[in-house]
Amino acid sequence: MAGLGEAEAVRAVPLWRRIEPRTLMFTLLFAVVALFVIYPLVQVVMQSFMVTRPGVLPVVWGFSGWEAIAENVGLQKAAWNTVKLTLARQFISLIGAVFIAWVLARTDVPGARYFEFAFWLAFFLPSLSITLSWILALEPQFGLFNQLLRGFEPGTGPFNIYSFWGIVWVHVMGTNLAIKVMILTPTFRNMNSALEDASRITGASNLRTTFKIFLPLMIPAILAVELLALLRSLEAFEIEQILGVPIGLFVFSTWIYDTINLPEPRFDAVGAIAVLIVVVATCLILIQRLIVRKNSHATLSGNFQSRLIRLGAWRWPVFGFLLLMVLVIIGVPLVFSLMGTFMKLFGFFTIADPWTTKHWMTAFNDRAIVQALKNTAVLAISTALIAVFLHSLIAYIIVRGKFFAKNAFDLLTWLPFTVPGILLSLGLLTLFLQPALRPIYGTMATLVIALVIAGMPFAVQLMKASLIQIGNELEEASWVAGGSWWRTYTRVVLPLISPSLVVIGLISFIAAARDISQVALLSNSKIRPLSMLQLEYMIESKYEVAAILATILMFFSVTLAVIARVFGYRGVRSS
Amino acid sequence: MTQEAVLQLEAVTKRYGDTEVVTSSSLAIGKGEVFTLLGPSGCGKTTTLRMVAGLEAPSGGRIIYEGKVMADPARGVFVPPHKRGMGMVFQSYAIWPHMTVFENIAYPLRLRGVAGDELRGRVEKVLDLVGMTALMDRPAPMLSGGQQQRVSLCRALVYEPDLLLLDEPFSNLDAKLRVQMRIEVGLLQRRLGFSVLFVTHDQIEALTLSDRIAVMSAGRIEQVGTPQEIYDHPASPFVRDFLGQTVLIRGTLAEGAEAGIPGVVVAGGAGEALCVVRAGNNALNGTTTGSAVSLSIRPEDVVLKRADQAAENSVLGLVESLVFVGDRIELQVTLQNGDAVLLNAPRSGGWAAGQTIRLECPVGRTFLWPA
Repeated sequence: MAGLGEAEAVRAVPLWRRIEPRTLMFTLLFAVVALFVIYPLVQVVMQSFMVTRPGVLPVVWGFSGWEAIAENVGLQKAAWNTVKLTLARQFISLIGAVFIAWVLARTDVPGARYFEFAFWLAFFLPSLSITLSWILALEPQFGLFNQLLRGFEPGTGPFNIYSFWGIVWVHVMGTNLAIKVMILTPTFRNMNSALEDASRITGASNLRTTFKIFLPLMIPAILAVELLALLRSLEAFEIEQILGVPIGLFVFSTWIYDTINLPEPRFDAVGAIAVLIVVVATCLILIQRLIVRKNSHATLSGNFQSRLIRLGAWRWPVFGFLLLMVLVIIGVPLVFSLMGTFMKLFGFFTIADPWTTKHWMTAFNDRAIVQALKNTAVLAISTALIAVFLHSLIAYIIVRGKFFAKNAFDLLTWLPFTVPGILLSLGLLTLFLQPALRPIYGTMATLVIALVIAGMPFAVQLMKASLIQIGNELEEASWVAGGSWWRTYTRVVLPLISPSLVVIGLISFIAAARDISQVALLSNSKIRPLSMLQLEYMIESKYEVAAILATILMFFSVTLAVIARVFGYRGVRSS
Repeated sequence: MTQEAVLQLEAVTKRYGDTEVVTSSSLAIGKGEVFTLLGPSGCGKTTTLRMVAGLEAPSGGRIIYEGKVMADPARGVFVPPHKRGMGMVFQSYAIWPHMTVFENIAYPLRLRGVAGDELRGRVEKVLDLVGMTALMDRPAPMLSGGQQQRVSLCRALVYEPDLLLLDEPFSNLDAKLRVQMRIEVGLLQRRLGFSVLFVTHDQIEALTLSDRIAVMSAGRIEQVGTPQEIYDHPASPFVRDFLGQTVLIRGTLAEGAEAGIPGVVVAGGAGEALCVVRAGNNALNGTTTGSAVSLSIRPEDVVLKRADQAAENSVLGLVESLVFVGDRIELQVTLQNGDAVLLNAPRSGGWAAGQTIRLECPVGRTFLWPA
């Protein structure tokens, strides 16, 4: 019993030494993420009950913010506008997207895969660039389409982009339609066609089968997508800022932006409205989760080779319609932005010699642009690097790490999903106004933090899915072979999920370069990225220079998106 | 054995919530010994192995490896897997797909600070053992199942651990390769002299490869012994039925043991006693005459005879049907008392369905069990 005797001599290990360094590191990370995700929310809630502004001491408590909601006519109008605009564009884009996705997934329309790719690509076009293009096309006086329709006679109309329906149009033709087609097409394609075949065998026509079998089965999936879209609708900011504010049409986000930029910002009222929005958003997300969970059977996943419906005589007309849609959705933004950069005077096609390369020549001597380019480069690279490292680690902790609070961590990564960009911006602003965090207020770090948090829900989900794919044993083999946890993580786990890491990096990079609402309230002239500069130029009607920025951002986003696709990125999922 | 035990488990228990998946299991593995945990899926054998590897923490008991306590939850001792220095071959082989064969095997050596010519030399040496030196620079995904198995084995052996853990390593291979790999592993073990803890549900693998076997059931170790001990002298009905095939004859305990040998009374349909089959071994403990018992014998020990041939200690049965299974014939036989049993006969046995045959049960090969 020699071995046993020796073993007997081992003393009990003191409690503090039983805690592994790994657990300590996870806990620290959890605490930091919780601070930046939960604290801004808490701040905003508290703010709604404060009469004084954030960071001002002593704090005076009161209900002035909530009273403002009842009294402020502008706010109430903004609320009503938000609802109306959302309903109008969601209704149109939903009908359109269900039809297009059905055609792409279930019929023999020529080139379905290419059209699907085109809609996928459209999702990556920056909203602000799309808006600029549509201004050039549909501005009442000089908009090219309007001029064509008027036969280049002076005057206005027939269309006006600066209107309720103008906003709806840009939204639908922007990301609204694209994102729904992108999510619904694979879902429709994965439905087991045996269910439809069974209906046809009994004698039902294709059309009848589509309406009686296909659509009812797809309703949960469609609802899930629509709820996500509604959630994103609360986030809409830049389109309304450019097209709505000049005609006095405000929505939640632009009202908040406007109010915060007043000399005496009403943080209390903004806080109150923010609480309401988060509550609505949380309800939407909860309903969405419920639908997805309850109906996971409806979209039978798997590789069913669905039998396609023959369109017959309709084949080419439907093809023509899709081609037109793609031209409008992708062609107009790309062509008009590029065209705008070469115009002497934005929109004036009829003047003598309207074209020039002057703007491109001077743009790169413009110190504001050069600074913004540098800022965007720093911002996008830091965001991408931090996102890749942080989100993969968080996903690992949730999926694999033996961590006591991993469920709480999982929930935490979902939370930013319920916070529209402008509110995240606001929450972080109030957080950075706290005395302890003042040193980083106004620095690039604040923008990076905002964008990393905004990207967290999606990135962590994607990494989780990727990690679940790797067998436990690959990791365990490294441990048993003598690899510490960290060594195993960096040498085995990360290399195995590297395609997803590249995708997260690229998507974070794109988001950092083009997203506006998340950084709108945190930016200043020193750290202003290209996207914010473009917004400012557009507000000041400097369209020619704005077009250059729009073009740069657009081609840049599209290129990176295509690279991400090469690395296996196929788009967001509703579940 | 304990004097030179490489690995000891003392009353090791594992609980997940309220479910106890391993209950107070104790065993000791000697130096150079091949020790097998055998049992059906869900019996706790893999969990036991994973606790030894450090991939699971035991809820109670102690695990001692080479005289050092690896896990002792009562004292808060837990050595993480990467500090235990054991080798392990996983069921899925767990060959890292982003590395070549060389990189896979070099990985544990690099962790131990081996580099340069020595690294290359040691990887080559271990690959040579399994005859795979030529495939050294091949990317891991381009290996067949058997090759992955060999690489996995090399990776586990390259740093010369004293204990090799094998978690169902042959279950993903096809039948022929399985036999071949089993022989290869056996030869390697004898050549290099490491100890092996082997987990399997396959009794043939267990019987052919092991020095000793622990049969597990429902989280408990039912019996520990050499393959022959376990096969010939199962300690419980579970071990008896799990290992090999068994012919069971039910009846009542015979009155008046003949020459001290108890037996089972085989009764006909009307309850009339037809014959007595005596058993040379028994697991009865104070069972009274007349209570229900069963007699077991391995089918290969039964001597088949024609009904009219005289035989000691035998029982009659009716051949219901014959099943051709390739190298032999399986006879489905109904005994006089109605028990259905399965027997094997050579292909040239000349038996036919509907024939009455005599089953001679050599006394030394029979066992009595409480019913």
